[in-house]
Amino acid sequence: MRLSRVLGLGSWVLGLLLAATPTQGQSKPTNYKGLEITVAGVERAETVGLRDCPPGSNTVRGLTKPGEEFAIVNLSFKVTPAFKETIVKKPVLLDAGGKTFNTAMSFVDPGSVPQYSCGFAYRVPTGTKLGKIQIDTTTIDLTSFNK
Amino acid sequence: MEIDRRAFIASLGGTAAVAMMDSEAKADSLEHYMEEQLDEQVAANQAREKFPTVAEIEAQIETRNYRRGAGSLFVSGRGNVKKLTPMPKNATLKDFFELRFAPANHVLQSATRALKTGMTEEVILACLLHDVVLNLIKVDHGWWGAQLFEPYIPEKSTFAIKYHQALRFFPDSDAGYEYPDQYLRIFGHDYTPPPHIQSTYKMVRNHKWYMEPRLVTVNDLYAFDPNAKVSLDPFTDIIGRHFKQPKEGLGNDNTASSHMWRTLSNPDAPL
Repeated sequence: MRLSRVLGLGSWVLGLLLAATPTQGQSKPTNYKGLEITVAGVERAETVGLRDCPPGSNTVRGLTKPGEEFAIVNLSFKVTPAFKETIVKKPVLLDAGGKTFNTAMSFVDPGSVPQYSCGFAYRVPTGTKLGKIQIDTTTIDLTSFNK
Repeated sequence: MEIDRRAFIASLGGTAAVAMMDSEAKADSLEHYMEEQLDEQVAANQAREKFPTVAEIEAQIETRNYRRGAGSLFVSGRGNVKKLTPMPKNATLKDFFELRFAPANHVLQSATRALKTGMTEEVILACLLHDVVLNLIKVDHGWWGAQLFEPYIPEKSTFAIKYHQALRFFPDSDAGYEYPDQYLRIFGHDYTPPPHIQSTYKMVRNHKWYMEPRLVTVNDLYAFDPNAKVSLDPFTDIIGRHFKQPKEGLGNDNTASSHMWRTLSNPDAPL
């Protein structure tokens, strides 16, 4: 890698960091069997790229019907040395009333890279208030991400 | 390209994680993030494309010198077809993967995902085999594929291969199956599955083995990654346990589908 590129991009990143504050509502890290999980945000969309976690470059997209939207919960993961699992259950979304929604996305080789971010998409009725996201026995509150 | 710095930092695991990275790692991360954002934007633009109607797709029929349902061994997308390497005398499934189905990237990705997400061996095998019959014929490929493999594999795997074709048109969020945008492109945005597909769906939906073909469709969606690195090797044991390899070789064993294997072996035979 050329030194100029490192210096150029590095200083740009440094600039970004100096001005940055954590995303409003970004959750504190939750530990699931050595996998450190942070909610980075929630988006709503009519269409979503169908990618597993950690994400690859799958080209297929899912589409919603009228009256639906995808609630995309963006999660950041950090793999700590304590993490030993090879198969991690899919996260389940619960709305504010406790109704559950499943995602098409799965964890595939969740320990293969040290850190990554994934957007788990849930097909929900438009405007659904989110309650929490659950990965196996671990639950993370999402209520602060409702606008 | 405009970068959302908060999203970028969050994607790295937050400010604390970024603080521990050296300059080169930060630069690499930023470049990777920008590539991902670009991919997302391109994909989002594709999703906003105007999908054709069924009538528009039908109007293309007479613009081709082949039928859409012809197997890919029989049609070349680019120039003339190539001479095929002869199959060995006692051809195995592995031989067919190497000499007739290659690169088989889609089915290998599909089966790899099934393997890595802890699905049953019957489902993994079905994922591995679910689309290879497209080399022979594309129309009704679920039924053709099931017929090709029926003498050799578990009944559940045959069931999964046969009925994944019908289930593809019916989303099931609970099972994790979304209706893919590529079907709007391939079949038309106003496409309605024909009556036999609809009645098959109703039958399978209430069948005790519903999840077998459903899981094939679930893995199907995630098996279109142009950068995925896959191989048949991880499936050697599953094939060994569940595929009844005939000692005479596929095509020479006088089963109900031997003629189909012979056709795959020698698609240049004139009659």
